[in-house]
Amino acid sequence: MRVPVGLKLSVFSLAVMGVYTYFANSIPQIESKPPEELSLEGGNVTPAQLVKAGEQIFHTKGTCEVCHKIGEKGTRAPDLAGVGARAAKRKPGQSAKQYLIESLLDPGAYLVEGYPNIMPRVDKPPIGLNRSELWAVVALLESLGGSVDVKLDDIPKTAGAPAVGGTAAELKLPGDPKAGEAVFAGKGACIACHKAGKVGAAQVGPDLSQIARIQTPEYIMGKILNPSAMGTVAGYPKGVMPPIFGQTLTAKEYVDLVSFLLTLK
Amino acid sequence: MRGLHVVRQAVRAAVPVAALLLAATALPAAAQEAAREPAYRAFPLIGSRLAVWAIAQLHLNFAAFILGVPIFAVIIEIIGWRTGAPRYDWLSHEFVKLIFAAFSTTALLGAFLLFLFVGYYPKFWAYMTSIFFPTYWIYALLFFAETFTVYLWYYGWEWLSGPRKWVHVSLGVLSNLFGTAILLIGNSWVTFMMSPAGVTETGALKGSVWAAINNSTWMPINIHRLIANIVFGGTIAAAYAAFRFLNATTDEERARYDWMGYVGNFVALSAFIVLPFAGYWLGREIYAFNQTMGITMMGGFMSWLWIIQAILIGVLFLGSNYYLWLGMERIPGSERYRKYVPYMLTILAIGFMVWATPHSLIVTLEEARAMGGTHHPFLGFFGVMSAKNTAVNLMILTTFLSYVLYRRANRLSIRPWVVIGMAIQWAAFAVAAAIVVFYGVYGYFVESIVRIGFSVYQVGAVLGAIVLVMTIDVPMFRGAKSTGAIRWGSIPARSQYVLILLAVTFTWLMGLMGFARSGIRQYWHVYGILRDTSVDAVTPALGYAANMITTVTIVFFALVMFIFWLGGLSEKGKPGAHGAAAMPVIAGGSEDPR
Ligand code: HEC
Ligand code: HEC
Repeated sequence: MRVPVGLKLSVFSLAVMGVYTYFANSIPQIESKPPEELSLEGGNVTPAQLVKAGEQIFHTKGTCEVCHKIGEKGTRAPDLAGVGARAAKRKPGQSAKQYLIESLLDPGAYLVEGYPNIMPRVDKPPIGLNRSELWAVVALLESLGGSVDVKLDDIPKTAGAPAVGGTAAELKLPGDPKAGEAVFAGKGACIACHKAGKVGAAQVGPDLSQIARIQTPEYIMGKILNPSAMGTVAGYPKGVMPPIFGQTLTAKEYVDLVSFLLTLK
Repeated sequence: MRGLHVVRQAVRAAVPVAALLLAATALPAAAQEAAREPAYRAFPLIGSRLAVWAIAQLHLNFAAFILGVPIFAVIIEIIGWRTGAPRYDWLSHEFVKLIFAAFSTTALLGAFLLFLFVGYYPKFWAYMTSIFFPTYWIYALLFFAETFTVYLWYYGWEWLSGPRKWVHVSLGVLSNLFGTAILLIGNSWVTFMMSPAGVTETGALKGSVWAAINNSTWMPINIHRLIANIVFGGTIAAAYAAFRFLNATTDEERARYDWMGYVGNFVALSAFIVLPFAGYWLGREIYAFNQTMGITMMGGFMSWLWIIQAILIGVLFLGSNYYLWLGMERIPGSERYRKYVPYMLTILAIGFMVWATPHSLIVTLEEARAMGGTHHPFLGFFGVMSAKNTAVNLMILTTFLSYVLYRRANRLSIRPWVVIGMAIQWAAFAVAAAIVVFYGVYGYFVESIVRIGFSVYQVGAVLGAIVLVMTIDVPMFRGAKSTGAIRWGSIPARSQYVLILLAVTFTWLMGLMGFARSGIRQYWHVYGILRDTSVDAVTPALGYAANMITTVTIVFFALVMFIFWLGGLSEKGKPGAHGAAAMPVIAGGSEDPR
């Protein structure tokens, strides 16, 4: 009996697709779940949930990861592994919890040896975590070597951006980012040492691709005018970033440049 | 009054389709007014997401087909017109017949998709409308123009022949222009969802709609889709020819469809060769638009997707080469070149393996953590792309070599300079391969930005070699002595299964890429602006996606078979249908194998 061509081809095609489908089903199946909305206040949260939420923030809104890593030295900041244990011994008379809260709200109060005072207050722009988020982040930090005992009430009432509309208020500068990009790559010669998103590739100084997400405008402005006054980013040589830009750039170029840097998020 | 009749026929056929589309376009305005609408409604049984997924994928398959085929149909028609060889005209008509048959299905699916959006995703649709409303009108008008032109192109074939052929060819060109414009508009919506531009943080349009249209992934997707559509059209047309070949009852019919399958595959392969580069460009733009999105795409939950993609691309490369090698069997004199096949096969197989080697596979969440989410270096992604670029460039060179050998299979050059000519050709291959390998290896020792530039040199070397080899090849074999005519139709039947394999694989690949495109937005309808708050906000894993892609692909082929069968019905009973006179030339043809 002759099998119709259409049937043969259909079986063949089904077999081909069957192989592809089988393969796709045999590999690790990873879904991408939407992040859960953080409304920890009021509800009953277990410490595990809290730590998980803190981890989310660490990777995303907190932008901690741009500077810190867990388990290795970060690009700009110390390794946070074990900080939950270390925290209790940092300052005499301060509990781990108190130290960790302080390290987020007043980072300059205690400086880890070898690091400058460049960590921004994380409850203020550009990071701008709210109280629940601070609570979760402290829980995460505690969980790295210590035990989680932080309560929402431990976070000062004055801390944190308002719960709604927690995004950073935008600073409006009269500069032109496009022109600033030209200064970055041209007259300012920043490009000789820095990479900024699509511009440049040098690795003499830190990657500035996300600088506006992790640093305040004051810091960025100060850094250009007087680099050493802002401390030297850990892992990078001291005195290499030239302190001359205050003299060489015109006011307009400076404002344009800063506007450009503030677009790097 | 023949002409008037044709026009009337075309209008009568085109109007309902266009009217349907116009009506559908007017709808969203009304939908917007109903402010009390829910954000979502649930599609019965399968849920809204699957409904949209299925219809969108089907619509895109058909649309890709009817946009891709005319591009080469008109080129083939022009070849026939300029050379006067009737077989090209026959072939072009055959292709347009396929488009024609698929045309109204495409439009119906498009309208259906629109209804799904309006009905089941009203909030999303209202938002898109608030940005893109001006483009809807242009789209609808273009669609009308496109429909009308294609119908006229098809129905006017006989009427506009002879001295009026130029009008007919112009219709073909025009329908391509309209078709491409439609594609560009559709792409602007879809790319806006991926990389929104020209809007404020809350999503309101800042200036003109142009900024939203011209977002950072728009052009890369335009180019990528345009090329992919040609590949797709070619493979589907070739599969159709394979089906007809296997069903053929006469040698003459077999010869005809063997040739059609060959041309379809040739078109697909030529376009396919440049597709990876378009893909890299797109990937780069995505990375530049948003690093997090780039990471999700290459290293995040989708990392396995690229392995599957690599396997499919490997199948496509191997399949097309195998088809060419099988094709040599119908060419007397090709024995001389068979000895190269094992080497070419080796290069392809190794290339395939490198290409499929994963870069950043995240199997567990722990590993994801170790890699560091927000600041995964740009380097990683392109770094290993260096090896992959090398592999794919070598595979392209090999495939081109297959084609060159195929071209000369039955020909002996009569030029006195043939030895030098061939030496230069081989040298061109060798130099190009050396450049590709050199920069591939060197790429490991330099900065990422420099390395990205290397891929340009690699591509340049390959394209340069292709151009150089062909410039020598064409004059070298002009008027060549033949070792025997190509015996069209004598190709082994298994070659036709290869054509089917290519069509099925490419269609499946398209489904997969569609999932990738839409999946990287994760829980966003419009990335960073309009969140997906529906029950379907979870982006499914690859197994689930594969099941869906397979199901839709099966439906697609079933529909295609049905439509082509319908198209074939009208042909029966008309034995002397268009272009039959061309056959003797094909069957006995000693012309060049292209
Ligand atoms: C601009 C870079 C930067 C960002 C962003 C940043 N940090 Fe820091 N952080 C530092 C530096 C530098 C130090 C060390 C100097 C100091 O103690 O202030 C530090 C210190 C710390 C310490 C004290 C570590 C110890 O061993 O005592 C903690 C805890 C900490 N950071 C947590 C965080 C968290 C949580 C975030 C995100 C919400 C964050 N940091 C964001 C730069 C940063
Ligand atoms: C000769 C090399 C060099 C040039 C030129 C240079 N920088 Fe730097 N820059 C560095 C180095 C090294 C560091 C890190 C050490 C430090 O903090 O001083 C740095 C740090 C910075 C930082 C802080 C980064 C962080 O992560 O906290 C900013 C902001 C910055 N530079 C901006 C600029 C701008 C803007 C220009 C151009 C006007 C510029 N730099 C030109 C070498 C350079």
